[in-house]
Amino acid sequence: MRKIAYIIGLLSVLTLFGSCSDFLDKVPYEDPSAEALTDEASAIALVNGAYQPLQRPKLYNMRIWTLDIIAGNSEVGAGGGTDGIETVTLANFVATADNAAALDIWRGPNPGILYCNTVLENVPKMDIDESLKNRSIGEAKFLRANYYFILVQLFGDVPMTVSTPKPGDNLLPERTDKMTIYNEVIIPDLKDAIELLPVREAYSGSDIGRASKGAAAGMLAKVYLTLGMYAESLQMSELVESLGYTLNSDYSDSFGGEERHKNTAESLFEVQYYGLTKAGFWSDENQANWLSTYMGPRNTGWVGGAYGWNQPTQEFVDQYENGDLRKDKTILYEGGPDFDGKSYKANMSNTGYNVRKFLVPLSVSPDYNTNSANVVVLRFADVLLMKAEALNELGRTTEAEEPLYQVRKRAGLTNRGDVENLTTEQMREKIRNERRIELAFEGHRWFDIIRWDNGQYALDFLHSIGKINATQKHLLFPIPQKERDANPNLTQNQGY
Amino acid sequence: MREKQKFFKEPFAYRLVLFVLCAAFTANLSAQNQKTISGNITEENGVSVIGASVFVKGTTTGTVSDIDGNFSLSVPESSVITISYIGYHPQEIPVAGKTHLSIVLKEDNQLLDELVVIGYGVMKKRDLTGAVSSVSGETMKDKPVASIGEALQGRAAGVQVISSGKPGDNVSFRIRGISTINNSEPLLVIDGVPTDLGINSLNMEDVETVDVLKDASATAIYGSRGANGVILVTTKKGKSGDGSISFSANWGVQTATGMPQMLNATQFASLHNEMIANYNQLASSPLTQRADFADPTVWGEGTDWLDELFRSARMRNYTVSYSGGSDKGNYYVSGGVFDQDGVVSNTSYRRYTVQFNSESNVRSWIKFGNNITLSHDIKKQGSYDIRGTMASLPTQPVYNEDGSYSGPGEPAYQYGDIRNPIGTATLSRNRTNGYNVLGNIFAEIKPADKLTFKSLGGIDFKFWDQNSFSPKYDWKPIPQPQSSLYEESNKSLTYLWDNTLTYLDTFADKHNVNVMIGSSAQNNLYNRMNASVQGFLSDNNSQLNNGLTDPTVGGTKNDWAILSFMGRANYNYDNKYLFTATIRRDGSSRFSKENRWGTFPSFSAAWRLSEESFFHANEWIDDVKVRLGYGETGNQGGIDNYAYFTRLKTGQYVFNGTPVSTLYPLVMPNQDVQWETVRQFNAGVDLSLLNQRINLTLDAYLKNTSDMLVPMSVPITTGYSDIYVPSVNAGEIRNKGLELTVSSRNLTGQFEWDTDFNVSYNKNEVIKMNDGIALFTGGDINMTKVQVSAEGRPVNAFYGYVTNGIFQNQEEVDRYATQVTGGTAPGDIKFRDLDNNGVINADDRTFIGNPFPEWTFSMNNSFAYGNFDLQVFFQGVAGNDIYNANRIWQESMSVPQNQTTKVLDRWTGEGTSNSVPRAVYSDPNQNVRHSNRFIEDGSYLRLKNLTLGYTLPKSVAQKAQLSMARLYLSCQNLFTLTGYSGFDPEVGAGGVDLGTYPVTRTISLGLNIQF
Repeated sequence: MRKIAYIIGLLSVLTLFGSCSDFLDKVPYEDPSAEALTDEASAIALVNGAYQPLQRPKLYNMRIWTLDIIAGNSEVGAGGGTDGIETVTLANFVATADNAAALDIWRGPNPGILYCNTVLENVPKMDIDESLKNRSIGEAKFLRANYYFILVQLFGDVPMTVSTPKPGDNLLPERTDKMTIYNEVIIPDLKDAIELLPVREAYSGSDIGRASKGAAAGMLAKVYLTLGMYAESLQMSELVESLGYTLNSDYSDSFGGEERHKNTAESLFEVQYYGLTKAGFWSDENQANWLSTYMGPRNTGWVGGAYGWNQPTQEFVDQYENGDLRKDKTILYEGGPDFDGKSYKANMSNTGYNVRKFLVPLSVSPDYNTNSANVVVLRFADVLLMKAEALNELGRTTEAEEPLYQVRKRAGLTNRGDVENLTTEQMREKIRNERRIELAFEGHRWFDIIRWDNGQYALDFLHSIGKINATQKHLLFPIPQKERDANPNLTQNQGY
Repeated sequence: MREKQKFFKEPFAYRLVLFVLCAAFTANLSAQNQKTISGNITEENGVSVIGASVFVKGTTTGTVSDIDGNFSLSVPESSVITISYIGYHPQEIPVAGKTHLSIVLKEDNQLLDELVVIGYGVMKKRDLTGAVSSVSGETMKDKPVASIGEALQGRAAGVQVISSGKPGDNVSFRIRGISTINNSEPLLVIDGVPTDLGINSLNMEDVETVDVLKDASATAIYGSRGANGVILVTTKKGKSGDGSISFSANWGVQTATGMPQMLNATQFASLHNEMIANYNQLASSPLTQRADFADPTVWGEGTDWLDELFRSARMRNYTVSYSGGSDKGNYYVSGGVFDQDGVVSNTSYRRYTVQFNSESNVRSWIKFGNNITLSHDIKKQGSYDIRGTMASLPTQPVYNEDGSYSGPGEPAYQYGDIRNPIGTATLSRNRTNGYNVLGNIFAEIKPADKLTFKSLGGIDFKFWDQNSFSPKYDWKPIPQPQSSLYEESNKSLTYLWDNTLTYLDTFADKHNVNVMIGSSAQNNLYNRMNASVQGFLSDNNSQLNNGLTDPTVGGTKNDWAILSFMGRANYNYDNKYLFTATIRRDGSSRFSKENRWGTFPSFSAAWRLSEESFFHANEWIDDVKVRLGYGETGNQGGIDNYAYFTRLKTGQYVFNGTPVSTLYPLVMPNQDVQWETVRQFNAGVDLSLLNQRINLTLDAYLKNTSDMLVPMSVPITTGYSDIYVPSVNAGEIRNKGLELTVSSRNLTGQFEWDTDFNVSYNKNEVIKMNDGIALFTGGDINMTKVQVSAEGRPVNAFYGYVTNGIFQNQEEVDRYATQVTGGTAPGDIKFRDLDNNGVINADDRTFIGNPFPEWTFSMNNSFAYGNFDLQVFFQGVAGNDIYNANRIWQESMSVPQNQTTKVLDRWTGEGTSNSVPRAVYSDPNQNVRHSNRFIEDGSYLRLKNLTLGYTLPKSVAQKAQLSMARLYLSCQNLFTLTGYSGFDPEVGAGGVDLGTYPVTRTISLGLNIQF
């Protein structure tokens, strides 16, 4: 009996030895690894992942439209006191390196760049359909250029990364001169994207909304314009025109929560939204549009949420010309047309005005987290105005009249005489003001005023509206302190 | 009175009876003069000694004492009789001229024969070569605390116990300082099963001993999980003899103490007026004053929110157990209920435990045994937030006129923006249910005389559910429009299989050898499912099926495994020279194949000087042993189960109204992650002095952690999350220290007085970190971090600005370095310009404090007089700093929240204060930035426990059929001496106080009965 027990004991220990090799091999249940992806669905999913950071509040869902506040078109509003204080300090030009909004917006494009690099490293190796492969590479390059464009405009020189980090890589890069980034990443990526991406019409069903040739061309036009390369910019704007984009008949058709407002004939590129899904409203993967929720007049219940952000200033409202249809469509003001059957009163906001453009009525989006409206990044009106600006700067002022007039005509300003017989300076002024009104609250104003006259336009304008604290250093945001604590190789922008 | 190891007595007694009876029949009747002597044998305290053996010296003639301690023996006239009994000094008495003897036996307090549990075995304390502290269940029981974790506080040198005080929460242990910034918790082993079951799931009554393995030569046998020390808990076994039934009960009342003083309504109203007025001086758009604050005096006291939230709470604890045994086996079964209301309204904790232990010697060569712990606990609470309760305005009543919960009005800068804390604490329902099964079953086989083979299979199953319901309510400022339910279900299943083969032998009478080899395999599977839904018709029917809108689901699964092989050899020569060597090889599934295995050896030696021939036995020193040891242990605590994989998360996006899946990399991968290693040197000396009246242990240690796993500081430019970060092996930490334990029996006799005292010193330093770049650690407080681990400093040292007084007038502001342009004004705090560049910015921060105590100490004094006993237990720490983060809001005078009374000394004009700044809304100068303003000394001395007990005299107890009955009064946390201004200087292992629970003082009455 004893001997049997002894033998059993030894055997059990020995079997343990035998089974040990697999015992310690565990693989994750939930997360696949990049090296294991081989099929088309995974490749598409990787590309989809590269789009998602655009959706986040760190970019188009919040921080991008708050740039209009910093540019002086509006005020934060909200609850007052410390509500939105991080944006208020930026808008008053007293922000320091630990400003929370600067940190938040720094967190916006960087993950997107990594996801684009992941696509560009892994998709070419996959054994999938050639046209899908090219399209995916084109989409990733378009998005990467877009993310870097936002970073260099806001922060100036930033680290340049065109591959995913590998063991042994230097994870503490220094800042690269922004012109290098333009010349080595942004412009070549967009040029490649124009080659690789199909035209908008080639997309159907659930692919509508992906980056297209026109989107890349339009973005490149904007990049060239920012760099003062007017001839190249003009060429790109004309390419966009040739691809068949048109203005919507109604200005409001580009914004709104119903299906007909999405991916319209005028839209070159939009950030897509869905409404309520399992991701929470405040999480990075939230699929609901925040704009209506944030910009609804506070405590009125006119839309879901209604936090009362982004209240237009009197100075902005005064810019509207008589007969401009856009006034009623862009802002809410006392005496203006009703919204969803309700009349606006000036005491609903600190300034007497609220933004109307993005509000979605309760019948379409009943709650704060159900809004599925898309956010327009680039539309044809913008391209027309860029064309006009490029033509004017090249001295071809009379040719600039037509594109400018097209935009104004749609807005109800049908008198062509307003744009005829103008000097270069007068035309320039006209185009700049037109951009301010046409693209109001879409996040373009800040980028415009800091590029005009090498930033002097911004300083002059801000001083004229009372933001006397604005100085040269404020044309760039501070590199967030948290990032500098993690990476001491990052220098700070001058003056912070 | 010190408990003895009585379990040797009974079997011996019966064997002796048998033996003696035989001997009596074979006794040689000599022709010498025989006479009969009789006698009575008692212990020092008068209790009769049953079964003591009485022999004629040098013969086999003898007898045993009976139930009354009497004996009678026929002996030769000139003989000498010896009386002996295990655990007592034997006596020899010549019988010449005597017929009756009254013999008093003195206890042989061979504490050194105590057994200590070490990894995979037991050892006599006298044979230890490593540093092990033993705490018996007796010292810890009958304390009005929820768990044995709290009862361990201060009982073992070098073991720091940190308890949060919340009902149902587990304590944190730190053994010999903090050796890593990761998981510093020691390994908890219950009845041989390493487990992550919280120690609060055990019933204190069921614990026999707790042995703490502190140095590497003791912990190396646990290899990779022993780096932070090992706590071995052994539950009770039945004792041979008549079975016994015991019952204990404890009833207590707890109250919160040490509450900070907040402003009353009048004081707050004037503060608020001042805050807004100072803001309006420089603001471009001034704020309006609150009209109803125009005359602060009409407000009076207002609402005391903290008082509304806290209440006296009662606590009850009942245990029934029965146990017994024989030489064929033993059993111990117990059941207990612990019920505690929390001092915060609407919180409670209840725990049921059942313990079932048994051992059976089925054959002489095979023994089976099992230990099973079943426990079920229920934690209930509303939604409460202590800091939010402090912050609520005293000018706001708890209820509105219609009885509903009040809330702040608009705008927020006048009324605040905190939901009614009493309302949420009462109306929200959070409930966590836990069900745990911890068990093992083992077989011990002796294939040959000196060989033992033991195989143990263990399981550690934990199931816990969480259910949170918040009703629809029109809260201000933000209402909850729909009632919402969140439910979560978790299960964690761990399996263990240990095998050991031990060889015990003695050669030539002097060479004692104990060799063990073994293997251990453990794996775990964790599964979670969660769901939430909103929109309930009624709060009473609130299951997931009743919800109407917004359903969400989630869930995940993960696992890990560890495989180990180990060996140990103990050799001692004549109990004079002792050597131990262990080795363990561990493989973990968390590391890649290249980095998977680690080898952890240890060596230790001890020399019992007192056994040497040159050592003259004297009445001063009885026993001297010096010990020296070195060992390596590994740590993998706190790293992700799949740390080395490159993983993509599944997310979502949408095109043209159709949701699509996305894949994206979230966490930076680290394929090279590997074991963290701790190398420890230990030197110690054990002294037993004055006839074992004083026992002293002194240990000195040096602990070096290398390849420490630190959360990587991921720059956002990599694109990876800087919040969900991987661990990298990038640090080295050194801990060095001293531990002293002294136990002395000061007075014996009628009035007894014993003292146990321990003190330890630990110094902690980061030797290397991340190639010289300081790592910011800890959570974000007010959006930035205040702790850093940097070379040459203690781990998690506090880092911030240094204050330099207050600007008294505008001229001082203009002269000084620039702080905040357009923001700094008289009354604001001056910060030192440490780099002398005329600007105060992030480069002017420095090290401002150390969160770890240098000294921890405790002293227990026990007194006994007759049937009364008294224990007085003090415990404390010194040399640590606390960052009182609550003050960032509750002393800032810049937000619409209530403040502590400290702000009554604020600056109101030139010369009024040089320490408390002015009240100004939105704090433009950032007076609350992380600085030494909120660093406080965390040293404290606490009268932790005072217990007065009365044991019923045996005669009285026997009348009631009881073998023992004891009544006691026990008080926990009676008072605390400290300079710390927050709720409780025991703020948790991080050293930061953010909403810490207050100290609870408990007074209780208890009863122990044994049948």
